[in-house]
Amino acid sequence: MASPAPQRPLSPHLQIWRWTPTMAASITHRATGVALYSGTIVLAVWTASVALGADAFRPVGALLSSPIGVVALAGYAWALLFHAFNGLRHLYWDQGRGLDVKSARATAVAVFAASLGLAAVLLAAGLMNRAG
Amino acid sequence: MTHKGTATFIAQRASAVILLPLTLWFLAGAIAHAGASYEEVRAWLAAPINAALMGLFILTGAFHMRIGVNEIIDDYISAGARGLWKLLNAFTASAVAGVALYSLVKLAA
Repeated sequence: MASPAPQRPLSPHLQIWRWTPTMAASITHRATGVALYSGTIVLAVWTASVALGADAFRPVGALLSSPIGVVALAGYAWALLFHAFNGLRHLYWDQGRGLDVKSARATAVAVFAASLGLAAVLLAAGLMNRAG
Repeated sequence: MTHKGTATFIAQRASAVILLPLTLWFLAGAIAHAGASYEEVRAWLAAPINAALMGLFILTGAFHMRIGVNEIIDDYISAGARGLWKLLNAFTASAVAGVALYSLVKLAA
């Protein structure tokens, strides 16, 4: 860290922007990223509970299979899918492609639709599997 | 993150590419074990291939999420407090990786 640090501007906060599919996808990418940060911490705790034995696993497993746990897991699955699909969109942009307004808008809508649709399918599959 | 922009950019993209197939593997494994007993879950996670993939998933995830949150810190935290937040971020990511490694090694033992 060289000093003195130059005074760089901060980003404008959320309420500054006009709502569009592209800005919604951008903000959602960041929001899902932060949610996945928590999700990864929970995943590490879950992994530890499996390693530590049945007594440690019981409360963690019970919490995750409670109604709140199922909603959280469905949200985690959607966040993973959204962040992965929108990440692909970023990698596509990195090739210098898909950057015009029309394409960026279409891919933003597609990422929302695909992630929500696949998350719903996964939730249904998980619930059916759980019911046996 | 001054003067390291390109390296950080590449590290973020490389870890993203590694995470894409691992994410699909993780979701498939999670759905397959909905409602599974402790013994079934343990047997799955203790299998070397699954332990290795879970280790890669969590470690690469910890690496990737640290870069992402550092970017958010750069955007929204004023210069004075940035270092402290980034240190906290690094500790959290390391702790996640450490807990995962410990658990997976313990499962394999």
